[in-house]
Amino acid sequence: MYPKIIILFTLLLLLCCSFGCSQKGSAVAFQDVVIEDDEVPVDKMDMLLNDDFFDEEKVVEQIYYDPLEPMNRVFFEFNDKLYYWFLSPLNTAYTAILPWDIRFSIGNFVNNLAAPIRLVNNLLQLKIKDAGVEISRFLINSTLGVFGFGDPAMLDFGLAPREEDFGQTLGYWGVGEGVYLCVPIIGPSNVRDLVGFTADAYTHPMVYYIDELYVSAGYYAGSRVNLLSLNPEVYEDLKKYSLDPYVSMRQVYLEYRRKKIDDNPMQRRSDNEL
Amino acid sequence: MIRKRLVFLLVYFVIFCAHVAVASSSPTDSLRPTLEGVIDVIRDPNLAGVDHKKVRREKVMAIATRGFDFTEMSKRALGATWRDLSQEERQYFEELFTKLLENAYIGKLEGYSGQEIVYQDERIKGNRAAVATIVKSSDTAPFSVSYVMLQSGSDWLVYDLNIEGVSFLRNYSEQFKSILRKDKFAGLVKILEEKNETFEKEESN
Repeated sequence: MYPKIIILFTLLLLLCCSFGCSQKGSAVAFQDVVIEDDEVPVDKMDMLLNDDFFDEEKVVEQIYYDPLEPMNRVFFEFNDKLYYWFLSPLNTAYTAILPWDIRFSIGNFVNNLAAPIRLVNNLLQLKIKDAGVEISRFLINSTLGVFGFGDPAMLDFGLAPREEDFGQTLGYWGVGEGVYLCVPIIGPSNVRDLVGFTADAYTHPMVYYIDELYVSAGYYAGSRVNLLSLNPEVYEDLKKYSLDPYVSMRQVYLEYRRKKIDDNPMQRRSDNEL
Repeated sequence: MIRKRLVFLLVYFVIFCAHVAVASSSPTDSLRPTLEGVIDVIRDPNLAGVDHKKVRREKVMAIATRGFDFTEMSKRALGATWRDLSQEERQYFEELFTKLLENAYIGKLEGYSGQEIVYQDERIKGNRAAVATIVKSSDTAPFSVSYVMLQSGSDWLVYDLNIEGVSFLRNYSEQFKSILRKDKFAGLVKILEEKNETFEKEESN
């Protein structure tokens, strides 16, 4: 338990530092400055139209903060090797042994077990309705879905999971991303999300069921391999289509996370409209 | 005097109406035939298989060129560097970039079996527009794709795709920026040429 707490504190410390960085860092990262009309964007779609990253007069810069790029690139290479030398062959074997249906069911099981994480984080973001959906999903899938191996909540009741984690919760309350990180084994992240990732581990039932680090690590590794087996082409596509995969991955990660944090009001609205 | 005014008014109305007629095509109306056209070609059993690859890709690109604005894409992807390029350099870059997109994405599209596009919403701001769609496919969970478009005459042309919040153009633009900082324009051209070659080699195998 001790090392975990030390890691958590170190990350929290880093996060506190990143409060300052996320504000100042963005200005340091690039000489170009955001200049926009004074009108307030109504929602995400209008945001797309405000995205003037090429304009004769004004240049709007994407804000990211990656002062550790040289180190991150080393870890990126490490993960890349890990993928091609280890994960990819492992995945090939795994896929050959287990048919798609079973891997899909395992994916459902893993998702269902992580329901407490989503529940807690929906509550922390005051998304009461979504928290209710997560509870319903958990109850339905754990019973009708046979311990979560099926997903009748989605298929029969049309209840999609409300994906929230602690990184998103921190973002929701205005915590900056901090330094971008490419973490060995885990992959792209930033200080905020790494804190979130660690904190979420404490709301996962696995920690309370078996308090052994290697079991948790094994479970995590297993669930990652299973996830990979369900989406095998994601990383390879990224490598194939990009000229600088490191930059491409950083961009995808940051934009995807940002959308997950501030698109939720929109998601709920469209749910109501439907 | 009154007659003059009437004539003026009439002329004004004609011009005004003509303008309305020209702009009457909505962004979604412009987008729909492009996407449907591409899907039809990919699904056409007469054009399926490796033997028809060349014809199929030519057809897809012919449709894409009408619906997508590759010049605008290249310009935005290069950002400030575009301004410093000569006409020939711009043209060559656009050619390379278009080729990369063709190599990378048509191959990907060909892999998809059944998919349905649901048009959700559209917004217009000045000469630009965004059309939000949801792609429903049997292979994956539904995901959102928004098309960002620029008005060109009576049509709207796509210059960016936003998939689940991730801008496709911004992604390339950041990569180009990173390469340009180190290797300048000549280096970028070289990397693009090499990338396209790897696709062609792969295809000939």
